[in-house]
Amino acid sequence: MYQPEPTAYLQVSAGYGIAHGLPEFTFEETPLGLNGGGGVGGGGGSNGGYGGGLGTAGASLGGIGGIGGAGSLIYTSPIFSASSSAVGPASGPFQFHHNTSNTTSSNASAASSPHHQRSPHSVKMEPSLSNDLAAEEAAAREYQPRLEGPLVGKRTSSTVITEEYAKADPIYVQKTIVLPQTYSHYRPIQGDGNCGWRAIGFGYFETLVNGGSKAQVDSEKQRLESLNSYIENVGGLSPFVFQDMAEETIELLQRISNTIGDRAQAMAELEGSFNNPDIANSILYHLRLLASSWLKGNPDNFSAFITSDIGVSGYSTDVIERPNVEIDNLGLVLLVNVLLKPIGFVLEVAYLDRSIGSQVNTYRFPEEANGQHPSTLGPIIHLLYRPDHYDILYPAEVNLTPPPQPQVTMQQEVNLQVHRASFSHNYEIGNTPIALHSFAAADMHPNPLALIPGFDTPPPSLNPIITLATGSPITSYSPSPASPWMPTPFAETAQQESPTSLPIRPQAPAQQNHPLRFSEYCQLPEYVGNDTWRGEPVFQTSTFKNSHFNVAHYNNPNFQPEEYRPEADDYHDPPPRAGSKKRGSV
Amino acid sequence: MASQKRIAKEFADCTNNAPAGMSIALANDSDVHKWHVTLDGPAESVYSGGKFGLVVTLPPEYPFKAPVVTFATRIYHPNVTNDNVGSICLGLLKPENWKPASKLLGVLEAVRLLLVEPQPDDPLESRIADEYRRDRAEFDKNARAYVQRYAKGLVKFDGTNVGPDAGAAGGSGKRSTG
Repeated sequence: MYQPEPTAYLQVSAGYGIAHGLPEFTFEETPLGLNGGGGVGGGGGSNGGYGGGLGTAGASLGGIGGIGGAGSLIYTSPIFSASSSAVGPASGPFQFHHNTSNTTSSNASAASSPHHQRSPHSVKMEPSLSNDLAAEEAAAREYQPRLEGPLVGKRTSSTVITEEYAKADPIYVQKTIVLPQTYSHYRPIQGDGNCGWRAIGFGYFETLVNGGSKAQVDSEKQRLESLNSYIENVGGLSPFVFQDMAEETIELLQRISNTIGDRAQAMAELEGSFNNPDIANSILYHLRLLASSWLKGNPDNFSAFITSDIGVSGYSTDVIERPNVEIDNLGLVLLVNVLLKPIGFVLEVAYLDRSIGSQVNTYRFPEEANGQHPSTLGPIIHLLYRPDHYDILYPAEVNLTPPPQPQVTMQQEVNLQVHRASFSHNYEIGNTPIALHSFAAADMHPNPLALIPGFDTPPPSLNPIITLATGSPITSYSPSPASPWMPTPFAETAQQESPTSLPIRPQAPAQQNHPLRFSEYCQLPEYVGNDTWRGEPVFQTSTFKNSHFNVAHYNNPNFQPEEYRPEADDYHDPPPRAGSKKRGSV
Repeated sequence: MASQKRIAKEFADCTNNAPAGMSIALANDSDVHKWHVTLDGPAESVYSGGKFGLVVTLPPEYPFKAPVVTFATRIYHPNVTNDNVGSICLGLLKPENWKPASKLLGVLEAVRLLLVEPQPDDPLESRIADEYRRDRAEFDKNARAYVQRYAKGLVKFDGTNVGPDAGAAGGSGKRSTG
C-alpha cells in the first residue's frame, strides 16, 4: 500500500528460504510471507523481522493460519493510525466550530480547542462522525468493566493459565505450557485497575504469614505506623485524610499477629480482609500514598523516569493517587522501595508477553536482586504480568507449609556432603560395605556391591539420610547412563537408552527434539546437499520395531508416524515378501 | 465502616469550619450519606441575596468514589444544569479526577467559588456559557431574575423550589452531560 519496501523485503526473505532449499518448511512458509507482505502492505522493517521470527515458531507448531492472523493484527494498527492522523488536521478547524456550536463537550480540551488547534490529535474527529464519537466517548466514560470473581481469588493450579491460552498465539501457547513447571500455582487477582497494588499488597502480607514470625509482623506494624509521619511530612497529606486507611493496614497486621501461630487462620484473615472492599480499598490506597510519598521524598532518584511533563507532584496526584489507575513500572519500583525492600522481601515479576523465547522473562525488584541466587535473597513474591494485569504466582517447589526447621536440613545436607567426600575417598582404598552403600545410595551411583546378595538393600539405620538426599542438590551428582561405571544388571534396564553395543551412531542429542533448531549453516548448499542432518539410517525390521532407531518410534529425531493406508495394500506396490508370494501361489 | 468513620470526620470538619455563608446538616439523622447544605449567594457575585440548597450524596464506597453534589434550588449558571436536577460540573468531582485524599470541605469551597467565578470554558449549559462570555449584562440580568424567582425565602430540598422543568423555563440550550 503505502510502503512498498517492506513487501519487497518480505519476499526476499521468503526467496532466501527457497534458494537454499530448506526442505518441507519453505513451501509452507512462502505463502505466509507473501500474504503478510502483499496483502496487508507491510508495516515496516521491524515488523518484517518480527514476522520472520513468528513464522519459524509457528511452523514448528504447525499453526500457520494463526500466524497469518496475528501478523495482520500487527500490520493493521499502523495503517489505521496513519490514516486517521492524516484526516485529522484537514478537518480540524471545521470540526471545532461544529463542536462548540452544536454539541458541548464536558471535555475541557475539546471545548477549548482554539488553544489546541496546532496539535493534530486533539481534533481528529470528522464532522459527520462527531456525534457518533461523542456518543462513544460518553459510553466509554460510563463504561464499567464487568468484574467477576473475588478481589483476590483462591490459590489455583496454574495449568488453568495454560488452558486459557491454548488457542492463543503460539508464543503464548509455548510459554504457558512450560509455566506450570516453574510455577505450580497462581492466585487470580481481579482486574479492576488496582490489581498490581492488590497483588503486591497481598503478597506482602502473605509472605509475612508464611514467615510465621510474630516478631516480624509486630515490627512491620511499628514500621508502617511510623511511616504515617512520613506520609504527612514528606507526602504532604493531612492525617485527617489517610489516618483511616493506614489504620486498616495496621489492624490487619494486628490480626495477622494475633493468629500467626495458626497459618490457616491467618491466611483466612488475610483473604477475608482483601476480599472486603471496605478494608481492601483502604489498604490499597494506603499503599498508593506510601509510594507517592516515597516519590516525593526521593525526587532526584525518580524524576527522570517520569516521561510526561507533569513532574513529581503531578505524577503523584494524577497517576499514583488516583484510585483504579493501574500501577506502572515506576509505581512498582516505588512500592518495592518503601514496602518490601526494608524487610528484605524481593519482588519477581514474570512477564508473559509475545517476546521471543520459550519461557516467561523474569525480572526482580529491587534491581540489585537480579542475577543473585535465590538462597542469598529474602523471601520472593512472584507475580505474573500479562499486559495490563498482575496475578500472584507460586513457584513449584514451595510447600504450602514451610519446612519447620529449614536450617537443620541445610546442616544435614552439608553433613551429607562430608560423608560423600570421605566415603568416596575410602572407597578407593576399600572400606566396609556399609559405608560404601550409604555412599552409593545417597549419590545414586550404581554400586557393584549391590549385586552381592544381602548387600542390595541399605541398612535401616541409613534410611533417614537417604530420604533426605532425595530432592536435595546431591542428586545432581548422578552420572549419565552412558557412564563406563554401568554394570551389566543396570544396563539391562537402561538398554533402550544406551545401546552402546550397536555399531551405529548413538541417539542424536536431546536438543534435536525441537524441529527447527537448525543453525544457519544447515541452509548452506553443501550441508543440505549431503544430507548430513537427516542422515539417520532407517531401521524398520522387526528387531528394531520398538527401538528409537525406528523412525516410527517417538524418540527418533526423524519421527514419522506410521499411517494405516488400506489402499496401499490393494493398489500400490505391496511389500515384496507378502505380495509376491501371494501372486506366485495364485 | 471505614467509610462511616471518614464521613463522620468530614461532617464534623465541615460543620466546624463551614465556608462563608454555608450551613450543613444531615438530611436525616440516621443517614450520614446525605447532607443538606444551605449556601448564601456570595456577596461578590450576581447570586448575592439568594439562598441555595445543595444536596451532597456520598456513595457507599466513599472516599474511593466521588461524592455527588447537586443544586436543590434552581440557578442560572453555565456550570449547573438548568433543570430540576441541578447537576454541577466540577472538575474535582469527575470520576476520573476524584482523589480519595480530597476533603469535602474543599468540595464545598469549590462549589461556592463556582458561583463567584463561573467557568464558561467547561460548561454544562452552553447557551448560558455563550451568553456569559458575549453578553455579560444579559447574563447578569437573567441570573438575578432566577435568584428573585427561585432563591428567595426558605430553602427546600424536596424539589419544590426548583421551578418547572427546563423546557418551560425556556431558552435552555443543548447540553451534554459531564
